[in-house]
Amino acid sequence: MLQIIKNEWRFLARSRIFLGISFAFASILLVSIFLGFYQTKKQEQTHKNAKDHVRQQWVSIDEMNPHSAAHYGTYVFKPANLLSSLDEGVNSVTGNVLRVEGHVQNEIIHSEASQMQSISRFGKLKPSLLLQYIVPLLLIFLAFNSVSSEKQSGRLKLLFLQGAKPLQIILSKTFSVWLYGVLLLIFVVIVYGILHIDSITTEILTRTGIFFLSYALYYFIISGLTVFFSARWQNATLALTSMLGIWIIWTIFLPNILMSSSEKWHPLPSRNEFQSAMKEDRSKGLDGHNPKDKRGLELKEKVLKEYGVDSLSQLPINFDGMRMQADEEYGNSVWDKHFGNNRNVLQKQKQSFQLGGIVNPFISLQNTSMGLMASDNLHHQEFLLQVENYRRVFIKMLNDKQTYGGSKTGNWSWKEDNAFFKSVPDFDYKPTKLSKIIPNYLLDIALLAFWSILVILLIRFGTKKIEIV
Amino acid sequence: MIHIQDVSKSFKGNLAIKNLNLKVEKGEILGLLGANGAGKSTTINMLLGFLNPDSGTVSINDIDTSKNAQEVREQIGYISENVNLYPYLTGIENLDYFCKLAGLNYSKEELQDFLTACGLQSEAHHKKVSGYSKGMRQKVGIAIAYSKDAEVYLLDEPASGLDPLASNELSKLLKKLASEGAIILMASHDIFRVREVCHRIGILKNGVLVKELHSKDVSANELENLYLKFMQN
Repeated sequence: MLQIIKNEWRFLARSRIFLGISFAFASILLVSIFLGFYQTKKQEQTHKNAKDHVRQQWVSIDEMNPHSAAHYGTYVFKPANLLSSLDEGVNSVTGNVLRVEGHVQNEIIHSEASQMQSISRFGKLKPSLLLQYIVPLLLIFLAFNSVSSEKQSGRLKLLFLQGAKPLQIILSKTFSVWLYGVLLLIFVVIVYGILHIDSITTEILTRTGIFFLSYALYYFIISGLTVFFSARWQNATLALTSMLGIWIIWTIFLPNILMSSSEKWHPLPSRNEFQSAMKEDRSKGLDGHNPKDKRGLELKEKVLKEYGVDSLSQLPINFDGMRMQADEEYGNSVWDKHFGNNRNVLQKQKQSFQLGGIVNPFISLQNTSMGLMASDNLHHQEFLLQVENYRRVFIKMLNDKQTYGGSKTGNWSWKEDNAFFKSVPDFDYKPTKLSKIIPNYLLDIALLAFWSILVILLIRFGTKKIEIV
Repeated sequence: MIHIQDVSKSFKGNLAIKNLNLKVEKGEILGLLGANGAGKSTTINMLLGFLNPDSGTVSINDIDTSKNAQEVREQIGYISENVNLYPYLTGIENLDYFCKLAGLNYSKEELQDFLTACGLQSEAHHKKVSGYSKGMRQKVGIAIAYSKDAEVYLLDEPASGLDPLASNELSKLLKKLASEGAIILMASHDIFRVREVCHRIGILKNGVLVKELHSKDVSANELENLYLKFMQN
């Protein structure tokens, strides 16, 4: 087997066309990695500047009523992700900026796609785009003729006579083509590693390792299938046509069809429906700014009883802050219900889309690629959840200060000093750990492995019928 | 021993071989003469295990080729009419590659000796095969078969494209191999070469062995007349 692989590589190494194409493609890959690196660095810098600027504004508040500060609010910026320089995933369409304030959970805005036509039309030139779409094409073009040329020239007969077995020949040809894809992958990972050498952690290494594995499996599937067709069909054109057909179905049609289907099976409420439902549920709760609100009055009675006083003016605390916090907590439960429902629907969509990997390994590849590079919707939802958790801590701190900071009910002119605002923590994004989310991608990895085994079985049993004469 | 016993083979209803019986003993060269489509290549492909007979048995050294093709192939040196090599490799690299596939690790000198023995000039050994003539490729093909040190040689128009000198060298080589105990079956159109090299000659017509004779019993002219007579009838 090694001899055949060596011979295949000798052919590639001596082919000027192949070397030219490889050099050109490696250059494009290099450019895409550098672009990804540059964009990430730029985003990191922009993120840092924006974050520092907003924080500076916050800590510069000289004196302010805490609840006014809750309305004043702050901004949270989605941090640039080091890994997404390999696979952008959904990042460029999901938005980067979220306003954090009292009473309301805002939507994330300012996606790159909404600001750059080139991105909304073509997506970003990231290595994943080339690794997912172009490398498989290169592998198909390398492999479609690999056995049929031997057959047509009569060399296959000679190979058999010299002791090579059909399975050996086809597996060797598959491995030599696959090796080309793997070398391109190694090239990408090494260049990426060199560029980010200072920031590499065990988490990044593990994610990149599994990312590498899933691509390697997909390339094996593509190489194996193409070589199989090359061996099985009577001529190379038929093998090429078959594989190009599969490539088009796998990468263009099926992902679209299956995603649309899973969205139909598990529909998300429209933005209007979502907002109306939130508004309606919210209206059933406590209105923090309305002293005559029925639930507000119930809370007032309860607090007065607790403190053993008859009126709000006798309370040692500021009841306004308490009412605001009660309003917040009700709003939080409404958000949990609706956002939780959305998360569940998205999870169901993801799960049903994942099953598409049974008929299309490209789907499994895309899922693992985005997921491992922390740029899929799941990671985005994790970010949104962290922001909402931060918002709750942030607003509660302000409301608690309003309640227990020393002011009296109705004293809206009371102000807290700068030291307090400085003590309010900034948003600190904790990147989602792979160990936490890996179960979400096990099915994708398993399906890629399943397809690889299927291809081996196809080669094992399908090549027995190769016609030599 | 090559043993073909009551073999028939047809393709899509067309009979290619009909009740063929042949034996080639150790140290013997059998020549198969016949027009295009007479069944020579079909016979060789059955011996190589690439085709299975519809009826009858084909065996080499008592191994049924349709049942143990791989085992049989290990014992065979084969030269086809058109030897197609890897054009991006040199002659010596091609030989080395095919030898290694057969599990034979020859030194560079040994490989060169094989090529030279098969008539390929030494200055061509290190040139890419893409620049070779048909005859030069044929010589490398002969070297591949020869280097295998096989017990059985199956040759399908082996002298095709060879110049007279190389053709003569091939004849000498085949005689030498037979004298060392090899079993050789050669299919050819070349009556004179067959007469010169082979111990026995069989004439195939439409898949039927119409005549079998010893070459020492006929002159080249007599063989030609006999052959033409069978072909014209």
